[in-house]
Amino acid sequence: MVLKSAPSSARSATAQALYKIVHEGQSLTRSTRSLAERIDDPRDRAFAQSCIYGVLRHYYSLQALLDQLLKKPLRRKDADIEALLLSGLYQIKLMNVPAHAAVSSNVEAARSLNKSWACGLVNAVLRKASAQPLTLERDRTTHFEHPSWLVERLQVDYPDDWESILNANNEHPPMTLRVNRLQSSRADYLAALGDTNLPAEPTRFSDDGVLLTHSSPVAQLPGFEQGLFSVQDEAAQLATGLLELEPGQRVLDACAAPGGKTTHILERVENAVELLALDLDAGRLEDVKANFARLGLSCSTLAADATDIDTWWDGKYFDRILLDAPCSASGIIRRHPDIRFHRSPEDIAELADRQRKLLASMWSVLAPGGTLLYVTCSVFPAENDAVIAHLAEATADASVDILDIAWARRTKFGCQILPGDHGMDGFYYARLSKGHPAI
Amino acid sequence: MALRQILHHPDPRLRNKASPVASFDAELGKLIDDMLETMYDAPGIGLAATQVNVHQRVVVIDVSGEKSTPLHFVNPVIAETTGEEEMEEGCLSVPGVFETVCRAEEVLIHAFDRNGDPFEMNADGLLAVCIQHEIDHLDGKLFVDYLSQLKQLRIRKKLAKEQRQYD
Repeated sequence: MVLKSAPSSARSATAQALYKIVHEGQSLTRSTRSLAERIDDPRDRAFAQSCIYGVLRHYYSLQALLDQLLKKPLRRKDADIEALLLSGLYQIKLMNVPAHAAVSSNVEAARSLNKSWACGLVNAVLRKASAQPLTLERDRTTHFEHPSWLVERLQVDYPDDWESILNANNEHPPMTLRVNRLQSSRADYLAALGDTNLPAEPTRFSDDGVLLTHSSPVAQLPGFEQGLFSVQDEAAQLATGLLELEPGQRVLDACAAPGGKTTHILERVENAVELLALDLDAGRLEDVKANFARLGLSCSTLAADATDIDTWWDGKYFDRILLDAPCSASGIIRRHPDIRFHRSPEDIAELADRQRKLLASMWSVLAPGGTLLYVTCSVFPAENDAVIAHLAEATADASVDILDIAWARRTKFGCQILPGDHGMDGFYYARLSKGHPAI
Repeated sequence: MALRQILHHPDPRLRNKASPVASFDAELGKLIDDMLETMYDAPGIGLAATQVNVHQRVVVIDVSGEKSTPLHFVNPVIAETTGEEEMEEGCLSVPGVFETVCRAEEVLIHAFDRNGDPFEMNADGLLAVCIQHEIDHLDGKLFVDYLSQLKQLRIRKKLAKEQRQYD
C-alpha cells in the first residue's frame, strides 16, 4: 500500500512554521497551535508536524546538504524558501516520501508562498538531492545536530557524559502519563488502557506514572476530558514526593504555569494543605485554571512576579515552597527540538541571575523550619548547583538536604537527572531547609 | 538483500491465491528482507509477497514514515474486526491511483514471525487499513475491486495507456 502525499498547502505551512521557529524565535508549541488552525485534514497536519520535528532534529546536517546543493546561498529575505528546501530534503532523505511527489508538491508550495521565481530552484535542488545518496561531511555540529556553543558547554560541564546527553536530545521521547489519584488508581487506569488495546506499563520511580508503549493523541486515551490523567514526564512527577507535604501546611508554588506540578500537589493532598499558585504570566495562569477544571481541582491563584514580594505576599510565611524556576530547558530538548535554536550562552547567564533573585525572594517568605524545593529542567550547573551555592554560602539559616535517591545523580548541592537517564527528561532538584533562629 | 520487481495491475498473477508458508527457513528470511527493501525503495508502507510474484502468505509493513518500525506477518489471519473507517488508499501495483475504500476500523491479527513463533496484534488507524489491504493481496484481491465498475474501467484504461507509453 502507498499513501498519497500531503498537498502543497501542508508543505508551505510547514516551511512557514519552520521559518518562524528558526528565524523569528517562535516556540514549537505556539507554531503547533497555529498549524492546527491552518491545516484541516488530521493526516496532513500529522505530516506537517512530523516534518517540522524532523527538520529541527536534523537541522544541521540538512543545512550542510543544502549548502552543497546550492550554487550560492539564499538571500536573507528568502529564508522561507530555505525552510521549504530543508523540509523537502527531509521528506526525500529521511521520510518515506516518493521523490517525484516531494519535488512536485514543494515546487507548488513555492508558488503558494508567492515566490514563483523559486519554483525552478526548488525543482532543481530536490531533484539533484533525490539522485544522490545522503553523504555528508560530518563535523561536530552536523554529527550532533546541536549548535557548537552548546556542544562545547556540555563538554566542559560533563566531560564523561556530554556525548550521551547530545544523543539523548535527538531521541524521540516516550509519552508518560500521571494518573489522577483522586479519580482513579494507577492499576485501574492501566487496566483501562489494556481494555482499549493500548500497551503501557507502570513507571519505575513515580507512584502515579504510566509509560505508554506508543505515543497517542490524548483525545484517544481513555478519560482525558474526565480528568483521569495528565501528560507529564516521570522526572517531573518526582517533584511532589520531595516536598514531603503534611496536612495543614501553607504551600507556595512560585512559578506554577502550566500547572503540571501544581495539579500533582493537589491530587496528592487534595485540600489538606493551603496552596497558592503564583505565576508571572496571567495568560498562562488561565491554562492552569483550565487544567484545574478538567482534573476537578482548585486552589488560589495569583498573577504576580514572585520576586516583587510587596505586590502579592500577605505576610504569612510558607511551610513549603516549590520553586520550579524559569530555565534554559536544556534538559528537555528531546521534547522541544526548537530549544537548541532559541538559547544563547548569554541567555544562560541572564537566567542564572533571575534564578538567584527568585531563590533569594522565596527564601525570605519561607517559614523557619520550612523546606524549599528548587527545580529546573536544565542540565547546566550554572542554573543549578551554582544558584544553590550562591544562596547557601550567603545565608546562615540555609542548610542543604542530602538527596540520596536511586533515580538521580548526586551533585554537590542537589541531584541531577540527565536526559535519557532511566528514560526520563533532564531535571535538577535541590532541597533547602530553613533553620530556626538561634535563641 | 535485493530489490524485487513489483507486478502491476492488470497482471493476472496478482489474482493468484497465495499458499500458507510451511517452512520457516533462511529462504523465508531472505524473502522478508527483500520485500522490506523493495517496499522502502518504492516507497510504500506495505507490500504483500503476491506483488513480487511469490505466492506465499507473507506481508511486510512500516507505517512509521521514517523506516523505524518494520513489521512482518507470516500466514496472517484477521481474527476480529470492529467498526468501519474510510481512508484514501493507493497501491504499489496500481501506480498513481488513489481512491477511498471502507474497511474495518480495528482488527485483531493472528500471525507468525520469521522464526515461526505465533503472535497477536491489535491494530487501528492506518496500520489496520494497511494490514487489510495487504491480506487482500494474498487472496488475489486489489483495492480497486471495491470501486464501482465504471471507476475500475477508467483505471484499467489509464494504466493501459501509461503502459503503452513505456513500451
